[in-house]
Amino acid sequence: MSTGGEAAPGSEVGAGGEVEAGGEVTAPEAEPSSEQVRRLRAPRTTVAVLVATVLLVGAGALLYDVISVRAGYPTRRWRARIADELATRHLDDLWVLVGAGAAVLLGGWLLWLAVAPGLGRWLPLRPHGDTGAAIDRAGIGHLLADRAAGLPGIDDLRIRISRRRVRVALTGTADPVSLQRQLRDELARVTLARPLRLDVRTVPGATPAANREAGVAG
Amino acid sequence: MTRTTVNRVLLGVVGLVLLAAGVLVLAGGLDLYRWLGADPPSWWPLTSPDQPVVSARSRTRWVDSTWWWPTVIGGLAVLVVGTAWWLAAQLRRSGSASIAVPTPGAGGLRLRVRTRALEEALETGTATLPEVERAGVRLVRAPGHPRLRGAVRLTPGGDPAALVEHFDTGPRADARTSLGWPELPADLRIRVLQAAPAESRRHRGRRRRHPRVE
Repeated sequence: MSTGGEAAPGSEVGAGGEVEAGGEVTAPEAEPSSEQVRRLRAPRTTVAVLVATVLLVGAGALLYDVISVRAGYPTRRWRARIADELATRHLDDLWVLVGAGAAVLLGGWLLWLAVAPGLGRWLPLRPHGDTGAAIDRAGIGHLLADRAAGLPGIDDLRIRISRRRVRVALTGTADPVSLQRQLRDELARVTLARPLRLDVRTVPGATPAANREAGVAG
Repeated sequence: MTRTTVNRVLLGVVGLVLLAAGVLVLAGGLDLYRWLGADPPSWWPLTSPDQPVVSARSRTRWVDSTWWWPTVIGGLAVLVVGTAWWLAAQLRRSGSASIAVPTPGAGGLRLRVRTRALEEALETGTATLPEVERAGVRLVRAPGHPRLRGAVRLTPGGDPAALVEHFDTGPRADARTSLGWPELPADLRIRVLQAAPAESRRHRGRRRRHPRVE
């Protein structure tokens, strides 16, 4: 909800203005501006809520019990039990090893969440003025599929979009070079901050075409 | 510091502590030091598989010192207050319910607009832009840095670059001038619908949902 601040794309007026000026002169080449638009970073709200809740409950219970023991009440059973287990189980005990393995996995996962940018399905666009934007990767796929849908000679089109490139697998008699030109025009219209590479290749997949011709002939 | 930074730093710290503790116990329990021929220094904890995880002796090592209990209680209290603050920062609704609107020329008049009303005006303005199917807009107010976050769904074949330009010069600029703020940056999340029927079945459930501002 609030990523806010300087980290978000397009928050600087100067950066937006420069990009706009550069975009007017040479539309297809976005190289100078691509470094100025940063990747989106997920705020990690859900995981933070979970971790904070677990820590709060654990530390709160421990604090309550420590204070009550200092005030003269007996130790709660759960704390005595945990202290006893920790003091009697040795390091090569199966449950200790399982617990340690779980801690390693959980810790590594939390570290990964802290470092990895997240929001991988959103690709930043070049900002306009004070407005930064990002587009869904599936949305780019829809635009490309719709552009290709009007072209003749395409039996099947598989579009896979990663963060760096678009791979199009074409089945049919259409010319891959002209298809690539069409799709490149469509991609240029999106004005991504980091333009995607486009690979179009023909896959042999002869069976659908043969079936269709047979159906027409019969 | 933004909330994203705080969350990532704290998650990283918790993850590091868990990872280090787990690796220490695993290294001791599987007797890795002997296998690898490493010779840890004498103060290194948890080196032998025959050792308990936390022995009664190490647990009660400083119990008799005068500083022990104040330190334990103080540390736990800091941890409780800190995690409570961290949790509250996630759940806090960002910003107040209404915003002051400048009324030049009418000295005695003070005007406030509900944040939701402003957001709805922005949503309506965005939805009437060309090629927009649905739009959701939120005003997030980090202290001193108000900004707009929008989620927009375009009709098939829509032009995302044109949408960004129209939104920037249209609804966003209008809101900024009516509120009299020096700047009002915005972030848009854009989706595009597909016209081709081949894949529509798979995405039908997703289409009905209102665009969500994250």
